[in-house]
Amino acid sequence: MKNLEELKMMREKVKKDLQLRSGKFRVKIVVGMGSCGIAAGAREVMSEFLDLIEKNKKTDIIVTASGCYGFCAQEPMIHVYIEDKPPVIYRNVDPNAAGEIFTNHILNNKVVEKYLFSKGKK
Amino acid sequence: MKNIADHLFDILENSAKAGASEVKVKFSFSKKKFFCQIIDSGPGIKSSNVVDPFVTTRKTRRVGLGLPLLKKTAEDTQGYLKINRLNKKGGTNLEFLINMFHIDAKPFGDLARVFIDALIAWPQMNLKLISQNNSTDDVLIDSEKIKEELGAEVMYSSQIQNFIYKTVKKELIAKGIDDHFSIEPKRKNS
Repeated sequence: MKNLEELKMMREKVKKDLQLRSGKFRVKIVVGMGSCGIAAGAREVMSEFLDLIEKNKKTDIIVTASGCYGFCAQEPMIHVYIEDKPPVIYRNVDPNAAGEIFTNHILNNKVVEKYLFSKGKK
Repeated sequence: MKNIADHLFDILENSAKAGASEVKVKFSFSKKKFFCQIIDSGPGIKSSNVVDPFVTTRKTRRVGLGLPLLKKTAEDTQGYLKINRLNKKGGTNLEFLINMFHIDAKPFGDLARVFIDALIAWPQMNLKLISQNNSTDDVLIDSEKIKEELGAEVMYSSQIQNFIYKTVKKELIAKGIDDHFSIEPKRKNS
């Protein structure tokens, strides 16, 4: 790899940021990334969440991917796991919806009914 | 699937879901032909006709559309899709060719973003991105090496992600791969 040296230099710069991140994650967002999810635009949704996390300077939120949930018509779907709260599943999430869910649910703990698919019990 | 980037991400998802620890993506682009080879270290595909949409191992549904859709996308442009098992132990070799000059070709989409998304989505999977030129292979991303030299947590940094994204994007543009239907690589005399 050509840029490994440059990356090493960058590592020093981002060291502090990484130290903050190495702790426990409070929120986990799982985006459904089966063929159906991808075709429905799940990658845009994931990028949007990553942007929002970056913009809001949150270090305790992690975004990961999973396969197909089996409800392909409702894709893109996301699971939101917040510590000590029941998990919530949203359906038909586009980048706009991602913004709403992020500000209302993830930052302020209010479930967005408009895109709600199901609420799990703890 | 709107573009080739989506297809590529879908193939990577197949590898990740199958539990592959390493995925190698080799690509080349010349004379408007986009060739891509994906080699993973997963358990290998058991069935002989995975491009049949009604063949799938999943339990939730009886159809699997990822590979058939890619086959359609490639063959619409007089390209092809080939899938081989590497050896008895496993491993899959997937190749496809898409003619970008064809009227039915889909746009590239943001290919560089695919690899960053893959690094974020499946941190346990080592990803190697190789750009094939006439005689030499350029390694653009080697996540195993990055993790080894810099620590695994480095991938969570958005600055690092952006840096890798930009370098990959630059290489792609230099080869003529943009987000749409390819651009002419820079000519020497203009």
